[in-house]
Amino acid sequence: MAISLSNFLLPISSLLTIVRCATVTYDFDVSWTYANPDGLYNRPVIGINGQWPIPTIRVTKGDQLVVNVKNSLGNETTSLHFHGLYMNGSTHMDGPDQVTQCAIQPGGSFTYNFTVDQPGTYWYHSHVRGQYPDGLRGAFIVDDPDDPHKDLYDEEIVLTFSDWYHDMMPNLLAFFVSVANPSGAEPVPQSALVNETQNLQVKIEPGKTYKFRMVNIGAFAAQYVWFEGHTMRVIEVDGVYTEPAEASMIYMTAAQRWSVLVTAKNSSDANFAFVGAMDQDLFDVVPEGLNSNVTGWLVYDEGKEMPTPQEVEAFEPFDDFGLVPVDGEELYDHVDHTIQLDLKMDNLDDGANYAFFNDITYVHPKVPTLYTVLSTGENATNPAIYGSNTNQFVLEANQVVEIILNNDDPGKHPFHLHGHAFQVVSRSEDEAGFYDAATAGDFPQRPMRRDTVLVHPNGNIVLRFRSDNPGVWLFHCHIEWHVASGLVATIIESPLDIQSQLQGKIPQDHLQACKDGNVPMEGNAAGNTVDLEDLSGENRSPGTLPEGFTARGIVALVFSILSAFLGMAVIAWYGLKI
Amino acid sequence: MPNVFAVPVFFICFRECLETSIIVSVLLAFLKQTLGPDSDAKIRKRLVRQVWFGTALGVLICLIICAGVIGTFYTAGRNAFEEAENIWEGVFAVLASIIITLMGAALLRVSKLQDKWRVKIAKALESNDGKTLGQGRFKTWCEKYAMFILPFITVLREGVEAVLFIAGVGLGLPATSIPLAVICGLGAGVLVGYLIYRFGTTASLQIFLVISTCFLYLVAAGLFSKGVWFFEQNAWVKLAGEGAAEAGSGPGSYDIRKSVWHVNCCSPGSKGDGGWGVFNSLFGWQNSATYGSVISYNLYWLVVIVGFVWMGLGEKKAKASGVPGNDAGSESSGGGDGTGKKPEVGAARLVVREIEG
Repeated sequence: MAISLSNFLLPISSLLTIVRCATVTYDFDVSWTYANPDGLYNRPVIGINGQWPIPTIRVTKGDQLVVNVKNSLGNETTSLHFHGLYMNGSTHMDGPDQVTQCAIQPGGSFTYNFTVDQPGTYWYHSHVRGQYPDGLRGAFIVDDPDDPHKDLYDEEIVLTFSDWYHDMMPNLLAFFVSVANPSGAEPVPQSALVNETQNLQVKIEPGKTYKFRMVNIGAFAAQYVWFEGHTMRVIEVDGVYTEPAEASMIYMTAAQRWSVLVTAKNSSDANFAFVGAMDQDLFDVVPEGLNSNVTGWLVYDEGKEMPTPQEVEAFEPFDDFGLVPVDGEELYDHVDHTIQLDLKMDNLDDGANYAFFNDITYVHPKVPTLYTVLSTGENATNPAIYGSNTNQFVLEANQVVEIILNNDDPGKHPFHLHGHAFQVVSRSEDEAGFYDAATAGDFPQRPMRRDTVLVHPNGNIVLRFRSDNPGVWLFHCHIEWHVASGLVATIIESPLDIQSQLQGKIPQDHLQACKDGNVPMEGNAAGNTVDLEDLSGENRSPGTLPEGFTARGIVALVFSILSAFLGMAVIAWYGLKI
Repeated sequence: MPNVFAVPVFFICFRECLETSIIVSVLLAFLKQTLGPDSDAKIRKRLVRQVWFGTALGVLICLIICAGVIGTFYTAGRNAFEEAENIWEGVFAVLASIIITLMGAALLRVSKLQDKWRVKIAKALESNDGKTLGQGRFKTWCEKYAMFILPFITVLREGVEAVLFIAGVGLGLPATSIPLAVICGLGAGVLVGYLIYRFGTTASLQIFLVISTCFLYLVAAGLFSKGVWFFEQNAWVKLAGEGAAEAGSGPGSYDIRKSVWHVNCCSPGSKGDGGWGVFNSLFGWQNSATYGSVISYNLYWLVVIVGFVWMGLGEKKAKASGVPGNDAGSESSGGGDGTGKKPEVGAARLVVREIEG
């Protein structure tokens, strides 16, 4: 499939002519349509304005963005999250349902209105339970007139990478979190896509240097990405400019963004393949016949053949840990507040498999957390009011916060924090166990920052950020399955500042969404407005599995033993009688 | 332990071998009695040798048949069951349970076996004289070697029965578990047979038999429950997938919805099970009990209790009204092997019919 470059390219010259601080408006009618992106299966997808793939949002740093969403799905609620945007002063526009808003009910309308004050590559997607892999996911580009790398490239191309399921998410989720899937095996995608299609041809002119803005908008699979015959220079990760670093292959987890420079060859003698290869380590069982790769081509000459990509012997991707931000922000070396999160997977007494931080699996509160902040006055600083299953942490303003995440699970997890990019100050290898400051070694002086970071199997990571952005921010694994199984924490940052910013300023359409969905907007997590520490009636996770014998088991065992003894007594009676 | 010692096989061998021992002992006693101390030592010696030859040959042929049947099964048949392993294990467990249940009561009547076989053998010898075994040279041959033919035929008959039982019970068991159980069963059978021969049936022997029978029924109850458990496990594997259902003893290895108790240890199936396999073979222990396995275990005992009570009361009534032995569904009580010390003619006739049948 050939794509006109004009869809992807924005002449550099035009950047200079754009008026700063414009208002950019998008009207999105979210509705079902059909698509068959891998040529294997035609299925319903969630499109915008009847189109799928959905449009790329493009603004310039400093712009005000207005997105008018109408939910025409009919059978599902929805919301939009603008992944990676700090939403400073506008946490109510962040998008997760039951956290910063109520889900937009079918037929409802909802406006996201915020200022974008950060450059880079982002994306936007639905943030209601497990919905975006059904199609509601697209790139979000913020152009930067002050791009420090602007002299290094001639043109820009956006590439989204993703995984694709033939079944619909509600069905897949019903299986995934169920007694029939006790090991929590994540559904394996049927295909990998690039720009929501396959065999993409990207026209290239000899001698030019291109900035590829690459986004993994997938639900689950990380992808190894490489360009045959070309090396990459990494210049941006998750909206943070980095000093150029050479890479021959990158590993892009779900939700990560990487901008790389690729310089075209000087001749147009041949075309070159580029490949996105889904990381099969993530898959419980690799189904027979799965094509886990997606191929595209750098097309120098359309008349020449499109070569089949060569086998790679081993995946040896670039390690992003060593990247250095261009702004040179120094390590936060004084930590005010440490949050330790121990990740594990386990089963609860409904037989399904759940994901836990510190033995608590996330369950949505009855009242969106932001509205609890706004309706509880002074009590908003008391973590207890936010519920028993929200993994809540209340932060004070302007502190250096450290998240120590210990991955007590043999899987790879890409962790994402809303509202911030964090310094990645430590990341262990596989099987390193829990973080131990004594053995962790020195932290980098100018650590890499990003908003989505990979933690290795049974390893750990240490992240730091400054709590300078009042809001309710989720911290969660960006594997959509794990969001559904509860691998989510809630960070309530400077709740009293949130109140002063937003008290009485929640727009009418946001309130209407709650009314439409019969969602309470006041009180603690349980909707209790009188005694805020009384959480009775709140949403809870299923109970824990009993350790050993319960009363039921003891009764059964005693009865069995009794009947065995009674039986033997009868046998003895009979045997001694005859 | 389940991999090296098949408890049901042990009991089957024990019982059948005990019966064989009793036949031999009755014959030897018979020879001793009829020939008397003053008879020709040479003839007596020859007849005793005949008895032993007949027995030995019968046992040998049984062992060959047994090895053949089981060998064929394990080489050829086993693969066919792998696909639906849990279903087959369940079927075999239930089958074994039923077989043991039906033959179990017979163990209690071992003390009656001596009388039973005395009647049988007396009758058989009688009918030899009554020209039932053919004419001419064949008849003479038969008469000459009666002491060979009699044990040979009866041992063969008992033995083939044992082989069929073992094949039925052993289908679900690993091949390695059978030899030791067979050897122990044969040894114990010979020992008890010898004790009966030397000391007659005593009260302590009967107590021993009662205890053995209790064990046998414990095993059978466990097997029945295990059978049901296997059926449920099969359904669970179908739902949750092989990998999940067979991953150790932790969450996911069982269906929480049907669980009565579950402990994340003590699984009889796991390697290095620390003896829980013994409990599994003896009592049907499962670290993960289901409603099905618990209910079936209790139901089994209910049926056994009702059965024995009915048999016990029925026999009491029969005794009171003078009707010969009550066929209560147990394999050997069907013989109506008499109730008194001295065999009666009516009972003997029934026994002969059994031999001929």
